[in-house]
Amino acid sequence: MTASGAPRPAFAPWDRRELPGLFGVVESARRVGNYKWIEMRLFEALGGWVATVPELDVKFVLGRQCYHHAWHAELWNKRLPELREMNTERLTEPPNEEMVKFVDAVRDPEAPELTIEKLVGVYRVLIPRKVAAYTFHMNATSRITDAPTIRSLGFILQDEMEDWREGEMLLQSLIQTPEEVERASRRQQALEDLIRSAGGITGPGTLGNPEGQADEAAEGVSVG
Amino acid sequence: MKKILPVEELARDSRFVRARIEDAISDPRQAKVSERNTGSARLEPARPAAADRARQLMHGIFVGEIQALEGAGRTTFDFDDDEIPFQLKLDMARQCWDESRHCEISVKLSEHMGSEIGEFTEATFLYEAACAPDALLRLTGVNRALEGLAIDVFNTMKEFGDVSGDPVLAACEDWMLADEVTHVKMGSDWLRRLTENDPERRERALEFQRTVDKLFSLGGFRGETDENPIQLARKFREMAGFSTEEIDDLSEVATEAQEEARAAADALHGVASGD
Repeated sequence: MTASGAPRPAFAPWDRRELPGLFGVVESARRVGNYKWIEMRLFEALGGWVATVPELDVKFVLGRQCYHHAWHAELWNKRLPELREMNTERLTEPPNEEMVKFVDAVRDPEAPELTIEKLVGVYRVLIPRKVAAYTFHMNATSRITDAPTIRSLGFILQDEMEDWREGEMLLQSLIQTPEEVERASRRQQALEDLIRSAGGITGPGTLGNPEGQADEAAEGVSVG
Repeated sequence: MKKILPVEELARDSRFVRARIEDAISDPRQAKVSERNTGSARLEPARPAAADRARQLMHGIFVGEIQALEGAGRTTFDFDDDEIPFQLKLDMARQCWDESRHCEISVKLSEHMGSEIGEFTEATFLYEAACAPDALLRLTGVNRALEGLAIDVFNTMKEFGDVSGDPVLAACEDWMLADEVTHVKMGSDWLRRLTENDPERRERALEFQRTVDKLFSLGGFRGETDENPIQLARKFREMAGFSTEEIDDLSEVATEAQEEARAAADALHGVASGD
């Protein structure tokens, strides 16, 4: 036990959190707005598809995960005003038109025989991209100043990883023939090309820009 | 994917057999069935056909849960951001998860009761109410009318589990009952919020609810007498936001539906016997 009144450091030796992060309030809010937008489009798609898939196990998983992404959207919607965006609708938007094209393509399949195409879009393209974008944000932002965002990212990433695994297992059980392998591959390739054009979940720079990191850090210092 | 998926396009595997409720009700054999006097229509273990009836009801719950899941899911998708509030979409997504769990519970309970998927037919009237073009009609038709019926059904099944010594059935029904009270309350709250300044729209929505309520009283299926297999669960309906007056109205609707069914059966009997 320390002597009464003896000073202790504000941070324990193992607490290595630092100031600042790679981006400030404005950039963080922009990204959070993009996150909310993509979570909304995803939970709508999963909800809409429930009625279009004949496989009962897939139907039930989509119903469950629909809520996971709605909850993520709700967390981001609550975070936006805390990042000085009082009109949350203003920043609830895609990063660019290419992202809209990508999401339209992901949500396009409707026929009951297209379950593989539906699931590939979500579990082999969109969710991996979300995991990457969220992980980058968590690693790049300040763990002190942007801690509320990090807390939400932690909860959301846990959902994303579990949902990703569950979806991938469904896909592996559905893909039984060489033709189905081909279908899944073609679908993945087409969607990868679209999201590559979009630059990722928050547009170009979703996973940072190695050449521009010094500038972003400077912005973080000045804004944060 | 298009907005508003018609009922004919609901995706099912090969075990499901679809039937029209109108065909069942107008089946001439119903006249013979209605002639039998088998005492109380309540679901009671002493009745010889109680186990079969409970299995059939369980299957009906299962297909109803699938359609409720599909309906809630479609409401998250069918309306753009400027058509319904963000929070309503979130509530519908939450309902999706709840209905998905109910489907899982129903499949396991069906197996527990000795039934299987496809043993009985599926009528699609629940989804038909769930894909109305106006979101408010979905809330009154599904969340208040049909989820309200689910309160009555689950409470009846829970009581059947209690009196027949089946704690698994009773416990599962009680869990689902808790969710349904939440869904009905959700419908009541949204009805009030969306029509706060539009009493005419509220009245139209409530009229749709009355129509669905009457349809789902199914010729005496639900009510408050011994002639009704499904009993009106007043206490839980009050918890879900129904006023006493609304429950009284519903009871009257159920009585009317039963009388109309009796008249229809008499007419059918007349035709069958050549009178």
